[in-house]
Amino acid sequence: MITKLAWKNIWFKPLNTILSVILLTSSVAIITTLILVEKQFEEKFTKNIDGVDLVMGAQGSPLQLILSSVYHVDAPTGNISYDSAKVWMQHPFVEKAIPLAFGDNYRGFKILGTTADYLDKYEAKIVEGKIFEKNFEVVIGSDIAQKLSLKIGDEFFGSHGDAAEGHVHEEYAYKVVGIAAPSGKVVDNLILCTIPSVWQMHADHGHQEAETENPAHGEEGHIHVEGDDHNHHHEVTIDEPGMEITAVLLKFRNKMGIVTWPRIIAQNTKMQVASPALEVNRLFSLFGIGIQALQYLAYGIMLISGISIFIALYNTLKERKNEFALLRVNGAKRIQLTQLVLIESLLLCIVGFIFGTILGRVAILWISSTAEQDFKMSFNPYEFLWEKEGVLFLLTVGVGIVAALLPAIKAYKLNISKTLANA
Amino acid sequence: MITTKNIKFSYQKQQEFIFPDLYCEAGSTLLITGDSGKGKTTYLHILGGLLKPKSGSIEIDKQNMLELSEGKLDKFRGKNIGLVLQKSHFISALTVLENLEMASWLATGEKNTTRAKKLLDQLDIVNQANKLPSQLSIGQQQRVSIARALMNEPKVLLADEPTSSLDDKNAEKVIELLTSLSKEYKAALLIVTHDSRIKEKFSNKITLI
Repeated sequence: MITKLAWKNIWFKPLNTILSVILLTSSVAIITTLILVEKQFEEKFTKNIDGVDLVMGAQGSPLQLILSSVYHVDAPTGNISYDSAKVWMQHPFVEKAIPLAFGDNYRGFKILGTTADYLDKYEAKIVEGKIFEKNFEVVIGSDIAQKLSLKIGDEFFGSHGDAAEGHVHEEYAYKVVGIAAPSGKVVDNLILCTIPSVWQMHADHGHQEAETENPAHGEEGHIHVEGDDHNHHHEVTIDEPGMEITAVLLKFRNKMGIVTWPRIIAQNTKMQVASPALEVNRLFSLFGIGIQALQYLAYGIMLISGISIFIALYNTLKERKNEFALLRVNGAKRIQLTQLVLIESLLLCIVGFIFGTILGRVAILWISSTAEQDFKMSFNPYEFLWEKEGVLFLLTVGVGIVAALLPAIKAYKLNISKTLANA
Repeated sequence: MITTKNIKFSYQKQQEFIFPDLYCEAGSTLLITGDSGKGKTTYLHILGGLLKPKSGSIEIDKQNMLELSEGKLDKFRGKNIGLVLQKSHFISALTVLENLEMASWLATGEKNTTRAKKLLDQLDIVNQANKLPSQLSIGQQQRVSIARALMNEPKVLLADEPTSSLDDKNAEKVIELLTSLSKEYKAALLIVTHDSRIKEKFSNKITLI
């Protein structure tokens, strides 16, 4: 009954109530969105570096190397000689080395030359068809299969570089031979083929070109002289000498290597190795500033909503003094008036929290669809982080209690006789 | 029925009210009159358990009200004392009927809807039951507060200047309703007033000096 009265009371002054609820809703929505995006973003990023201790690639920004070769969101730093990379890949410290060769894309999805180990690393099993064996056979990620509705046996031409509008390589068609199981990792959005496929597609002249500084794939000025060599359509194999790859994902048997290799490689070769864990941490700390700023903003809004609830309750308390006195005359205890004020405030907070949680998820749905287009990264709005959202709920309730404290005490101390006599 | 003895009260040390003893049978009416500043409303608040006097005793239905603890007094007041005030106050967010139900819920823990409807019917305002109190005229509002005062079949019905804001016709009607209903529900009716329209009607009165 008290709760019912509280509910009726808060809707008796709809404008006050709506203001408080809107403020609460927006702060809860912002915080919920941040919590979920941050957590899922980190999860996605960390999930992808499982099993990669170091990445070897061309010199340049280590962060760029990681972003391009692990997450496929940036342009590669350049190419490295496969022959010199092989020396390190066969080092006894190395447990597994997965070479990557970036080539083309198909409608914006990267075509990546690699080995079967790549699929194993991401625990992406082939659900349909088989693994790529011959050149130009490809295994496609589950998301691609769904979005582009590709089936086993379909053929397509790749476009050069990163951009979907790039030059179309019409000499060789890729043929889908396998579809990978969904893994929730980058592999879902990749088209995988053998490394020689990439070489053969750009089959040129690797020999001469390796010496003449040819900018990397995806960078301006990269030259492909196609058609010259196309008379000899011989199958290029992995043993072709003098070829280039883009990067190597390394997993170490001996963890000493993780510490010592960055310096050894930098000193002895033209390559670099970068640690994904380190670089990703660096990235998070950069993001962290922005996220923190938004969080402060959201807590600020929450503070304002607390003040708004306080003012609303305090003002109505003045107007409703007589009502409270009346409730006492009719047999209400002091504590019941306190309850009434507290419940009114808590109802506002709970309504605000529920709307905020929903609105936050709507925001994630929206962010997810944009991120999906731009970064091939999606967020799950239906995930509940009980711990963090629980804390947020407690915080909201706390704001409600604090805002109601003074009005509740005033209601408790109300002098009935004086109030009625002065009315 | 209600009996008081030796009630003394003071707001400040210098000024002390000594209220005359009174006695009122169930079903009968007692008028408390006197000039302003003589403590009419104060006396009524004391009788209603809203103010605690310095000394004395108030017996309602053989229970000395002043011996009760605060929580018990709240319950006792809700059950046994009906209060009709000069200006009627309501819980503005609740309808007329809900206001009456709230009165019985606070005192007894039950919403006595049938009784609320019966009272509204007796007071000829049953068709206003689902309106908000603010939508009623002052005369109608006064009748609703009478209904509310009678919700829990109180032993004592206290009315503080119940007619002062009403015109002659409404004032007469309110007094008539108060007396007839207090007879019907066997409540002792105490009216505090300086309204000469009422004074003529009752012989049983106390004047505060």
